[in-house]
Amino acid sequence: MTTVVHLTRAEIRKLATSWSYLIAVAVSIGLAVMSVAVDAIVAGRNGTPPLGTTASTDQMLKLGPVCCVAMLIVGIVAAGGEYRHKTIIPAVLIAPRRHGLVLAKAIAVALGGALLSAVTFGLGLATAIVALAIHHLHDLPSATGHLYAGSVITGTLFGLIGTALGYITRNTIVAAAAAVGWVLFGELAILHTVIPHQAKWLITGAAVALTDPTSPAGSVLGPVTAVAVLIGYAAALLAAASGLVLCRDVA
Amino acid sequence: MITVHQLTKHYRSVAAVNGLTFEVGPGRVTGFLGPNGAGKTTTLRMLLGLTRPDSGTATIDGVRYRDLRQPVRRVGAALDNDSFQPGRSAIEHLRVTATAAGISSKRPAEVLDMVGLADAARRRVGTFSLGMRQRLTLATTMLGDPGVLILDEPLNGLDPDGIRWMRDLLRKLAAEGRTVLVSSHLLAEAAQTVDDVVVIANGRLAAEGPVAELTASTHTDNLEDLFFDLINNRARIDDHASEAYSS
Repeated sequence: MTTVVHLTRAEIRKLATSWSYLIAVAVSIGLAVMSVAVDAIVAGRNGTPPLGTTASTDQMLKLGPVCCVAMLIVGIVAAGGEYRHKTIIPAVLIAPRRHGLVLAKAIAVALGGALLSAVTFGLGLATAIVALAIHHLHDLPSATGHLYAGSVITGTLFGLIGTALGYITRNTIVAAAAAVGWVLFGELAILHTVIPHQAKWLITGAAVALTDPTSPAGSVLGPVTAVAVLIGYAAALLAAASGLVLCRDVA
Repeated sequence: MITVHQLTKHYRSVAAVNGLTFEVGPGRVTGFLGPNGAGKTTTLRMLLGLTRPDSGTATIDGVRYRDLRQPVRRVGAALDNDSFQPGRSAIEHLRVTATAAGISSKRPAEVLDMVGLADAARRRVGTFSLGMRQRLTLATTMLGDPGVLILDEPLNGLDPDGIRWMRDLLRKLAAEGRTVLVSSHLLAEAAQTVDDVVVIANGRLAAEGPVAELTASTHTDNLEDLFFDLINNRARIDDHASEAYSS
């Protein structure tokens, strides 16, 4: 137990001093603020809902995908980077039984994911509030709190999925290609077409349920089910990653 | 004490290490010598639990590395002089390692000072020369002040000053009673550093013992002659065995 605590502290330290994480935070915040500002500027033009309507504010606050992509990359780089920079060797020398390695990394990435997503959504929301206030609008949709929580949870779990992919592939490029390939081709191009009614059970389907308030009811899972589904995917992938870290030779 | 007994590892049909047995004692610098591909690094990886042997055992003070309590405090090991996140500073790299191993936060500055990198503590490791990386690698192994040091090719990339510094440090550490095992293929440098040698070829033991005794028994003048004598001898034995097997 003590080993896991030490390893987790070290992983948090690694993440906090990692350029990839700091850049991911800066980029996701920048994208979120810009996206909200642009949505506010174009609201009411070219058939988009007018500023102040629930549809317009929902559109502005669709920030979950930004958090998800940023944390997926952070997770992949955090785990895959251990093999790229060969820092997996000192890590295994410190914890030769390897049990705590994936767990410690997962805890650190989860904390980092929660922080990144909370700050990203929070600053995006603050931008939206300012944009609305400029037009003397002060009401937010009642589901804003749920959307905030959904974005933080989804970003956190995508960080864990990225971590698992990094450990499984041991290569940041392959892991990123696998993630993009699975989402774009596996899920969106193939499975959403072949089994459209079951698509809500896929990773992207569950993520949409938590981050996109404009999805028609019935086409997405309930929030609790969606969280459970995403936790299931993350847990299954992390279990596979742990098993591989335990049994593979470290080259 | 490092004890390797009948250690064997195959990669597909190739025997990287084949029934290797040797011991390394405390208070001496032991050179682990062999040509490229002889199985040195594979042996060290098995000793440190990074690679699983097909058979045989490798222990440190009678315990497998993976079963050691607080292994970093018992064994300082470096298999690669490039196991760093290049964007991290030297001191931060050591702090991360110290934190993971539960070592005092004061220790990173101490070991950086010990290896002469105190002035470069806040420099990114990605900007370090090969020699500086070797020093930082050694600093990492010394974090836990271990009684056993296992270093893979620590002399690689060092300039003459660096080699002399490393040699003096390794001898000082051995004089303190530590067990020091150093793999190398730089025979001239190793000759001035090591007390004992373990020589392997084709994954098998060619000879082990004090350098002085081995050179005397083989009537050779120096470590280089001894090395080639042993390697050629090992090759002849393997050839005979191979011929006998095929006939």
